[in-house]
Amino acid sequence: MSADVSDLSLVRRVQRGDKGAFDALVLKYQHKVVKLVMRYVRNPAEAEDIAQEAFIKAYRALPQFRGDSAFYTWLYRIAINTAKNAVVSRDRSPIDFDLDLQNPDESYDMQGRLKDSETPEALTLTEEIRSTVNSAIDALPEDLRTAIVLRELEGLSYEEIADAMGCPVGTVRSRIFRAREAIDRRLREVFEGGLGRAEELG
Amino acid sequence: MNEELDSQLSAMFDDELPEDQCQLLARRLSRDDALKARWRRYAVMGAAIRAERQGAGALAVRLETNLAARVSAAISAEPALVADAVAPGVRKVAGMRWWQPVAGGAIAAGVAAMSVLWIRAQAPIGGESLVADNVAAPAALTQTVADNSAPESYVVPATVERTPIVPSAELANYVVAHSEFSAPVNRRNMLSALVASEPVGDDDAAPSPSDDANVVEVARPNVEEASK
Repeated sequence: MSADVSDLSLVRRVQRGDKGAFDALVLKYQHKVVKLVMRYVRNPAEAEDIAQEAFIKAYRALPQFRGDSAFYTWLYRIAINTAKNAVVSRDRSPIDFDLDLQNPDESYDMQGRLKDSETPEALTLTEEIRSTVNSAIDALPEDLRTAIVLRELEGLSYEEIADAMGCPVGTVRSRIFRAREAIDRRLREVFEGGLGRAEELG
Repeated sequence: MNEELDSQLSAMFDDELPEDQCQLLARRLSRDDALKARWRRYAVMGAAIRAERQGAGALAVRLETNLAARVSAAISAEPALVADAVAPGVRKVAGMRWWQPVAGGAIAAGVAAMSVLWIRAQAPIGGESLVADNVAAPAALTQTVADNSAPESYVVPATVERTPIVPSAELANYVVAHSEFSAPVNRRNMLSALVASEPVGDDDAAPSPSDDANVVEVARPNVEEASK
């Protein structure tokens, strides 16, 4: 199996004018890109703004992407450069609130909290998703749990998981799919409930 | 939603689906909202598993976020990419090229116009120094040379009517008579000068045979006389 083939399929569609294919790429990599950007900015809302800018830059630059490297490698480079530029730009701009010079770390955290008005709701929902996924994984049969953890946590390929578990690649594929289906059933409830609460709050 | 399709989607998410199936599923994924929502949840559960490994002290990444919706809204305002799209930078350069010859021509025309105006301002009425000025304005010179018929050309000096010096018979007789008392060398030189003063190479203005005969007729006997 050639690496990055699924991303390339989506990229080629975007390059031919299919914007919906770019949505799929954003959905797949948004958490990784935000996590990457948070190495440079600690505020989640600011990290998402930078990630958004990085994705838009990537979209505009996609005609130049030829597939010489993996798409995510190319995307990560754009995200890192965007984050670095944002940090430089932010450091040059005046600070609009008082810093506690005795405790700069605390002030920096305060900066993040002040700018992130959605944090309580987002944190609650994030925590709920996390606990739901973990409890769903705990409830999985051993072979399914091992397969999904090796894939998502260790990043092993199906072939490597098959070697580790001593089973065919097709079985690995089936186990990972079944594990995802079991988790997804629980996760869908959270998403629907979370969206319902958001509508009530809105 | 059939199970085989979901299984393919899971494999595609892990980059483990054959390329031909990937292409078909990518097309469907870009259009099918339900499939896209499932794809999104696959991404969320992966992020949740990785976040659990990092522990409570790790920086929290929002698992439920509207980032994708914001990007999609921003992208919708962008022009769709086309298959034969070239790099924006290249397009930009190509777009800039069309006006460059026009600008170059405009600059050259402006310089030429300024030169002409400057020459007109500097040129004396008599036009004595126009030859020197023409060296500094070759473009204008070329233009005016081609237009020689213009009577009031500001570059080509006005043609001075040069009347050919043709010694009159009276003058010639006077010179010949005077030469009787001068040295032979000088006398010959004076006659040569008179002859040479006639227009040279001016075929159209060649003296008529009658004029020529007139001079010779008068002068010849005297010359012979002088040589005696």
